[in-house]
Amino acid sequence: MKKGILYLNQFFGQIGGEDKADFAPVIKEGVVGAGLLLNNLLEDAEITHTVICGDNYMGSNEKEAVEEILGFLEDKEFDIFFAGPAFQAGRYGNASGVICKAVKEKFNVPVVTSMHEENPGVDMFKKDVYILIGGDSAAKMRKDMPKMANFGNKLLKNEEIKGAEAEGYYPRGIRLEVFLEDETPASERAVNMLLKKINGEPFVSELPIPKLDRVPIAPAVNLADAKIALVTSGGIVPVDNPDKIQSSSATRWGRYSIEGLDRLGNKAEGAFKTIHAGYDPAAADADPNVVLPLDALRAYEKEGKIGSIHNYYYATVGTGTAEGEAKRMALEIIEHLRNDGVDAVILTSN
Amino acid sequence: MNLEIGNFQVKNVQFGQTSSYSEGTLTINKEEALSVVFQDDHITEADIVLAKPGDDVRIVPVKEAVEPRFRLSGGPTFPGVTGKIERVGEGKTVALKNCSVLAVGKHWGSFGDGLIDMSGEGAKYSIFSKLNNICLVADTDEEFERHEIQKKNHAIRWAAHRLAEYLGSIVKDMTPESKEVYDLGPITKREEKISKLPSVVYVMQPQSQIEESGFNVLNYGWDTNRMLPTFMHPNEVLDGAMIGASYMCCSSKWSTYDFQNCPTIKSLYKEHGKTINFLGVIMSNLNVSLEQKERAGMFVQQIATSLGADAAIIAEEGYGNTDADFIECFRLLEEAGIKTVGMTNECTGSDGTSQPLAALDVSADAIVSCGNVSTLIELPAMGTVIGELESLMRDGLSGGWEDDDVLGPSVREDGSIIMANDSMFCGDSVLGQSIKTVKEF
Repeated sequence: MKKGILYLNQFFGQIGGEDKADFAPVIKEGVVGAGLLLNNLLEDAEITHTVICGDNYMGSNEKEAVEEILGFLEDKEFDIFFAGPAFQAGRYGNASGVICKAVKEKFNVPVVTSMHEENPGVDMFKKDVYILIGGDSAAKMRKDMPKMANFGNKLLKNEEIKGAEAEGYYPRGIRLEVFLEDETPASERAVNMLLKKINGEPFVSELPIPKLDRVPIAPAVNLADAKIALVTSGGIVPVDNPDKIQSSSATRWGRYSIEGLDRLGNKAEGAFKTIHAGYDPAAADADPNVVLPLDALRAYEKEGKIGSIHNYYYATVGTGTAEGEAKRMALEIIEHLRNDGVDAVILTSN
Repeated sequence: MNLEIGNFQVKNVQFGQTSSYSEGTLTINKEEALSVVFQDDHITEADIVLAKPGDDVRIVPVKEAVEPRFRLSGGPTFPGVTGKIERVGEGKTVALKNCSVLAVGKHWGSFGDGLIDMSGEGAKYSIFSKLNNICLVADTDEEFERHEIQKKNHAIRWAAHRLAEYLGSIVKDMTPESKEVYDLGPITKREEKISKLPSVVYVMQPQSQIEESGFNVLNYGWDTNRMLPTFMHPNEVLDGAMIGASYMCCSSKWSTYDFQNCPTIKSLYKEHGKTINFLGVIMSNLNVSLEQKERAGMFVQQIATSLGADAAIIAEEGYGNTDADFIECFRLLEEAGIKTVGMTNECTGSDGTSQPLAALDVSADAIVSCGNVSTLIELPAMGTVIGELESLMRDGLSGGWEDDDVLGPSVREDGSIIMANDSMFCGDSVLGQSIKTVKEF
């Protein structure tokens, strides 16, 4: 039989109401309060322990509370961790999210909680943990706890998870392809969606437009003193591509010296070329400076228009490259640039 | 324009003394068929290999797929490729269904080439796994591009079209087993009960990103990079006017076969006269510079508006840079009051957390998603490889790699592979065959 542990706040853990909200965490053997319902609905698993913590205690002493609770769990064997349901209670939602995330990171077991859509914990933690869509108050306990149990049973049995909508949890910002069970071809789906749109009937887009990440414009630098680095997603590399950066869907980047070079030599000279598979390479192979403008920047350097050019340039390939990978590579490159005292970057694509 | 496609359902393909067709069996005289292939001196080696659904076979690098057809009403089956330019889409054409001619590199692959498994787990990723494939496996003397990632693959792609026309000619004097009729009259001459229905255009954005000629989709033999958006009759698309590109990540690609069988055109035909008035196709493109994108979007908006379209379906062949064209065009159609549905695939990364399209706009509120190009696919070795397995990792195929810190090389010593969906041959079928979607997890 598999084992689960449940987290409850002071109220559902039967310690007390608002006056006990500063209650420091404890762990109890077996089930307490609402845990009984969960325990009864788990199919091949039991709740062996219940962790109880006051909402305010978690809110104002998060670090300590998490450490204490993770300490309780260190010598316990468990296959799944539940918290809540937290309904619309903001502090309880936060506490459930915090502890689920911490338990998942430390013990690598599935974690499940449940909240109402207006609980601020949803937006804070939906990317990190499964948060089932729950009701607004404890009156929904008889609906929400069985949902947690059912989903927990699925996770424990390693059953296929069919997506956020089908399973009733908040989307985690993860989009994966699936084969439709009814095998409706895209052409029919498109025409059906179009007819609904024409007729003013509700329809569901298969790709909801996500909120955009906007990056604020960086503060200005004094060009005449600035150390400027060249960074490119245009795939300009030494001809032997020493880091084997992929020609598309890149996960690698390279750092190459341009110290003492007035301009980048080309492919025919055995110097630099592009490995980018997303554009016609002819012009860049003939003159890599059209993508990584070292020649123009050296001229500015000589004129005193800019302070200096950083001795290394950075390159990757920006075709088919997933945005998440691009972000990771940028953060890695930025660390080098900061350490080398670079003031500004000219980022070129292709 | 009235087009009648006479169908012959191919259940079995074999080699024999005489090229013939009888009761579902297509017999090919290999020597005669290869003589058609060798009409181009640039073909240095060629063989025809058969692969049917269920075979323990992996095919890679696949460059193109063509449905064998023959145009009975005069002119070439593929204008601008197998002959001079003559209008298609009217009259009669015969088709060998349930099969395709695949252009396969004997050794060398390129960025836009793909992979097909004929059985097992890998077979679900491409519609071509379910067809009787007549594989033209060839090498050429095109030395200038031998080691280029981007190849025009001219000789072998053109040979595949010649071979498809030759095979189609086998049934040119026979009575078709079934017929499909596509009849769509002039827009201003339609019956009132049809013209009062909501008017719909289908906006197609075929691949045209490479500036140099020879890589992009052709429209009557004309490089779509050199084209401004134009109005076409859907029958022209179904009848060989459009030729698949060499360039584009393969799962996003529209092969000639896909154009010939375009499911969205067929679905719109099905609704024509019942729920909609299908006006026709606006053939746009996907050029790379911003000015070209804006100009193309402007033309699409103007043509759709001038035609009086109430609604549109728009489909893009590609992702990344081309998402800008797709979204801009979507926005411009909505701006003109034309209710629009988009069809595309996504690039959300192998973990699904990346932004799905490179460009986004709130006006794009109705999208059908056909797959995630970055899905990681791990497949066991297959008994036989048609082509050359190493090409997947060696030749810059969009979904293969030589080495990866975590995943290792795409092709392992035991013949098993790990790849991105990107290189599944025409796997995302954005023209409408895809039974995939992308969901939130």
